[in-house]
Amino acid sequence: MDKALLIQLLGSAVAISLLIAIAAWARIARVTPPLDAEGARALLALEFPDDRIDALWIAADGAGVVARSGDRALVAWRKGDGYVARDLAWNAALAARADRGFLILKTADAAPRLVLKDGAWPPPEFVSQDVAA
Amino acid sequence: MKTFDPVQLAIPFFVLAVVLEIVLARMGKANARYEAKDTAMSLTMGLGSSIAGAILGGAVFAATVWVYQHRVFTIPMTAIWAWVILFFAEDLTYYWFHRIAHERRFWWASHVNHHTSTHYNLSTALRQTWTGGIVGTWLLWLPLSFLGFPPAMVAIQKGISLIYQFWIHTEAIKRMPRWFEAVFNTPSHHRVHHARNPRYLDANYAGILIIWDRMFGTFIPEVDEEPCRYGTVKNLASFNLFTNVFHEFIGIGKDLASSRSPREVVGYVFGPPGWSPDGSRDTSHTLKAKWRARLEREGRPVEKLAPTVVSEPRPEADLSKVG
Repeated sequence: MDKALLIQLLGSAVAISLLIAIAAWARIARVTPPLDAEGARALLALEFPDDRIDALWIAADGAGVVARSGDRALVAWRKGDGYVARDLAWNAALAARADRGFLILKTADAAPRLVLKDGAWPPPEFVSQDVAA
Repeated sequence: MKTFDPVQLAIPFFVLAVVLEIVLARMGKANARYEAKDTAMSLTMGLGSSIAGAILGGAVFAATVWVYQHRVFTIPMTAIWAWVILFFAEDLTYYWFHRIAHERRFWWASHVNHHTSTHYNLSTALRQTWTGGIVGTWLLWLPLSFLGFPPAMVAIQKGISLIYQFWIHTEAIKRMPRWFEAVFNTPSHHRVHHARNPRYLDANYAGILIIWDRMFGTFIPEVDEEPCRYGTVKNLASFNLFTNVFHEFIGIGKDLASSRSPREVVGYVFGPPGWSPDGSRDTSHTLKAKWRARLEREGRPVEKLAPTVVSEPRPEADLSKVG
């Protein structure tokens, strides 16, 4: 490899590392407190503005939410200092796997891991919803 | 061959400007948000883009030179009038490149990774594509060389445009003077371009001059009542670099594998992002239609939402608990 190009690449890598370190040092990311019911509903209203929320479950660490909206499950979970939202079939969400305290949901292109409160899935509020439905 | 490259010269300025934005934000003197992983992704994309450009740059330049050898006119690089014409011609070319890159999925697959950050800061400007050379968007600039603009001249003007577009990736500048906002692309106009709110989708494709959006009907002003939320309609689920680069191409591949007719193949590749045979997925068009319908239901017709109107805050838009 050309020596000048190698120096340029190494210099760029060092500069990038420094900039990332400065960004981390500055602590100027968005404030993302754990979700409560109000925050979760606000988040879902932004991500799924046309969907009615029938029932809501918030992950134990407040970093994710699963909501029922008819025959769909609306899911949002934290990524960095923001959230990612997806949906999946309600039945698929109910049948999702719980593994070592985490709920693992499979959406079309992601598999978020949400912290369960007592290791059990689905939660009572969803089961009672299902019976009522 | 050693050529003048304004972008290479501007790199130290880019680095210093990012540091300045971070430090000012840290001191509470500027409005900017940085998240370390997001910043890492943006900067690594920038480095990768330079490497990809170096790999394919020779072939692209050779093609440009070949076209120039078959030019219609011979335009002198030393003439001021030539630079003035090129400034407008290149910027118009950029507008159409950028519009196609958003409105047709094949080119969106290459451009989307510039839009995957949920932040809008100077590092976002450096989140550049790795696959631009492969999808052939550079072909759009060939007519300039065919007309007779020397390839080096076109390359320099492209570099100037790229440098101009760096400073507009910021929330630290709210509005420029009114005359400037009327003519030039600004942080405010470009925030709209990076927003994922349905109101703002597919708008403000300008490079340097916003006049093209005004002329071709794609201009949307930023309104204070609806702050921009950045990223893509479906934000990426991870900070994986290669996911960021290739996810839309992978999506196209999956859709093609399930295609059942030539119409579906064409639609999945060259239709608008989100196109599906049965219309079950959302495109920018359907998202905007749903947004308008919501406003109508709430008794707030779109035409009443003039930029100067400050309406009551929407309760569901209160994200103070979300961050």
